[in-house]
Amino acid sequence: MVAWLGWRLDLWLAGAMAALLSLGVLTAAAGNDSGARQAVMATAALVAFLVMARLDYRQLLAPPLPGAGYLLALGALGAVLALGVTEFGSQRWLALGGVTVQPSEFVKVALVAALAAFAAARPSTPGTLLITLALTVLPFTLVALQPDAGTALVLLIVWLVVVITWGAAWRALAGVGVTTFAVAPVAFALAVPDYQRERIATFVDPDRDPLGSGFTLSQVELALASGGITGRGALPAAESALAFVPARTSDFVFALVGEQAGLLGAAVVLALLATIAYRGLVAAARAPDRLGRVLAAGLTAVIFGQAAVHIAVNLQLVPATGIPLPFVSQGGSSLIAMALAAGLIASVAAREPPKSREQWTAERWRR
Amino acid sequence: MDERAGLPPAGRLVLLAVVAAMVITVLFFQLARMQLVEPEPLAPRLDGRVLRTEDVDAPRGLILDRDGNTLVRNVPELALVLIPGDVPRIPAVETTVLRAIESELGIPYAALEVLLARGREAPDAFAPLTILSGIEELEAIRLRAALADVPGVAVQMRTVRVYGGGELYGRILGHVGPLPREEVEAYLEAGYALDARVGLSGVELEHEEALRGRLGRRLVAATPAGRVLEVLAEQPPTAGVDLVLTIDPGLQRATIDALAAAVDLALPEPQPGEPADRPAPQAVGAAVVLDVRTGDLLALASFPTVNAGIFSGGGIDAGAFAALLEDERRPLVDRSFAEVNAPGSIFKPIVGVAALEEGVATPETRIVSTGSITVPDEYDPEVSYTFRDWTVHGSLDFTAGLARSSDVYYYYLAGGYEEEGGTVFEGLGAHGVASYARAFGLGSPTGVDLPGEAAGIVPDPTWKSETVGEPWFLGDTYTFGIGQGYLAVTPLQMAVAAAALANGGDVLVPRVVGATRSDEGVRALPPTVASQIPAGPGAMAVVADALRIAADPGGTAVDGEPEGMTIAGKTGTAEFGIARADGSYDTHAWYLGWAPYEEPEIAIVVYLEHGIGSRNAAPVAREILEAYAVSDRRVQASSEEASSGEAPW
Repeated sequence: MVAWLGWRLDLWLAGAMAALLSLGVLTAAAGNDSGARQAVMATAALVAFLVMARLDYRQLLAPPLPGAGYLLALGALGAVLALGVTEFGSQRWLALGGVTVQPSEFVKVALVAALAAFAAARPSTPGTLLITLALTVLPFTLVALQPDAGTALVLLIVWLVVVITWGAAWRALAGVGVTTFAVAPVAFALAVPDYQRERIATFVDPDRDPLGSGFTLSQVELALASGGITGRGALPAAESALAFVPARTSDFVFALVGEQAGLLGAAVVLALLATIAYRGLVAAARAPDRLGRVLAAGLTAVIFGQAAVHIAVNLQLVPATGIPLPFVSQGGSSLIAMALAAGLIASVAAREPPKSREQWTAERWRR
Repeated sequence: MDERAGLPPAGRLVLLAVVAAMVITVLFFQLARMQLVEPEPLAPRLDGRVLRTEDVDAPRGLILDRDGNTLVRNVPELALVLIPGDVPRIPAVETTVLRAIESELGIPYAALEVLLARGREAPDAFAPLTILSGIEELEAIRLRAALADVPGVAVQMRTVRVYGGGELYGRILGHVGPLPREEVEAYLEAGYALDARVGLSGVELEHEEALRGRLGRRLVAATPAGRVLEVLAEQPPTAGVDLVLTIDPGLQRATIDALAAAVDLALPEPQPGEPADRPAPQAVGAAVVLDVRTGDLLALASFPTVNAGIFSGGGIDAGAFAALLEDERRPLVDRSFAEVNAPGSIFKPIVGVAALEEGVATPETRIVSTGSITVPDEYDPEVSYTFRDWTVHGSLDFTAGLARSSDVYYYYLAGGYEEEGGTVFEGLGAHGVASYARAFGLGSPTGVDLPGEAAGIVPDPTWKSETVGEPWFLGDTYTFGIGQGYLAVTPLQMAVAAAALANGGDVLVPRVVGATRSDEGVRALPPTVASQIPAGPGAMAVVADALRIAADPGGTAVDGEPEGMTIAGKTGTAEFGIARADGSYDTHAWYLGWAPYEEPEIAIVVYLEHGIGSRNAAPVAREILEAYAVSDRRVQASSEEASSGEAPW
């Protein structure tokens, strides 16, 4: 944490984020996959981060802003389903003028803001817990319909972290858990699209479909294996084992990093993400109020949860689903949304209370 | 419970941190597991299918004329091909195969035998050789049935280049063909397939990289025998870029027509008593029209022309090509940029600029031409040499010396003059003339985007002793000064020099491709300036004014000036070859100029292998300039000042 002219910034958080952004630019440039565009987007993301970090999250999250942001995000998700752009068999993009925006990236940040604002003002009871669940299920459903299983999964992780930080009773959480397990198989049968079921089946038994989605998996496997410990260095796209994987710089960028920079490079990415998660939780622990605590923890869940899902997909721990790696993957929407999240965390971190208990007690008694 | 009011328990954050740490640990171990295993290549699958990647051809870029009409296109075509590698090397089978083709198509057996032998020596024996192209669909079906059992013969669908524009763009467009034998390895290194077709001449060769596009790749599952069962993944190819020529079709037409009419008129009459083995004069010539602002070649013509159509289809039209090779006029040599000749007096403006810039002469320098000058031999005072002027001019100042093209004036400027041991006039010297000639772009290729450009020769004493093996004499400097002797240039080089005189000293890189067209639209290429003439505006203005006077009524170059336009012009008549029966020499006819004089737009150079500059070359220049004066391009150039920067279609 540095302080300069009243400007406090968590340098560990900012540094880890900047390192991941640079890595994303390098990876995009190495394969001739429009590195210049990624550099512009990364710069924009850095600016968004610094602006957010400078602002006071309490003013940003004063009513009615969180509610408005939440409704706007829901509206954008609805618009995507109604008139969005389809790519790789899934409808995720919204064309606005010349640019395409991916609202599902921003909905994660908007959901955390809305949940934090809601939770900060109320105690956790079974009733309010169900309301937060309802607030989450709405965007969850819209995202799942796109279909974008990865983001939907991240939304669930976010909800869980938010209510845990909020202080929800373990018993109430257990109740929700049991209900979910009971409903899940039915929901799977009814709601999960064929392609996703096929992917899950393929994941369980790769020989089932050796040339379809299993083919992508085997390419990813080959890329990681060929990376070894130190990697193959910057490669033209055509020489990569991922040459035939169109989403190599977005949904499979972790495998691409593993191929180019090896185990060492990929481990650095893990370490940077761990740093961000740690600094996010520290910010939550030192937050001056409940809004800050829930917000910082929820946003940390957004970044780290999404990263974990992305990496788990790349490492074939969970079925293939397209989800970007925060700060690294190509795609402006993801970069900006994740930078906004990190910026809000930094804003919470910048407003932590006086550190010594004595000082704080003295202050309290003076009032 | 935390002490801060209403804050939820911080212990739960520790729990979350522990969960995150566990996730990181699991991910790291899985990562290490996956990265440390040995990579497996694409293995044959258990069902016997083989995975392999194959190239996907990119459509070759088109070539358009400057109005956007397609000149070179890709056309699908059915062809009967012979695949030499598939014909077993068993004499009896070979005979059967060739006899079968002979009886079906009536192609002589001997010709097929030669084709097969040549095909087997080719870098890729499996590259199909075209036997019959442009087959109708029904005929293709019939041939397929009739030749079904004959190994090494197949009917294939393929894309061929078709060249339009007839004789207008003959040598400019060029042609494509199989990889040239000597350079196969270089092409393979550059990612070409063995059976690829590449640009071999003209724009097709020079702009190969842009026209070629980028190969796509396709991952397929195939049977071990090679039949593709399924396409698993595909990287689409990137189509080649379309090229837009700078040549103005109307002006090129007018240029070719003017040349065709002039070259016959310019042929010298046979003289009695000449040996029979004296080479017959050939009616050939060339002309170049260059935009002095951009280097765009608006016309680049060499007569006789070549019809680009003979390169269409799978290969060169053999009959037409043989006729071109046998033609004594050697139509395949482009005189506009691939052959060098002495420029004669059109070189004088360059010497003039040098003399003014170096202070050898001023506009007031007066020299008397008595019709010749005589200099003694450098070693033997008893012997002397006489250098003639083309007429007795009397006393001339600089402007008159250039406008009336006095040779004596330029002997003085180049070599100076000594009389009785004293220097009467200090000249530039051979090195001085040579350095300015090089500054104007002579002696090295202009860099035009066409292959096979000649560099020409700018002589100097070092060059002469190395190449000819003789010392340099004063007489060499004299003939150099009037553009004769060893000096050799292409019409294109002189056009670039003329453009530099006209545009204030920019030596442009001329070009025939001025824009590209791709999915992103038409993009004009920026002009390239190779260098600057090391001379101030003063010297250039004096020379330009002299050339304006030369093209005015009463001047030597007046026949090049169209009505209603003021131009700068200079004629040249350069002697060459061996003396004729009457002691005279054959001459090349040249014309160099630019127009309009006040706001120069184009530079023009005309070259005829035979003739007199003012009598034969000047009228060609006038006809071309007249065509330019009324062309759309001229109209557009004047309206462009109001609304600039739009593509011509």
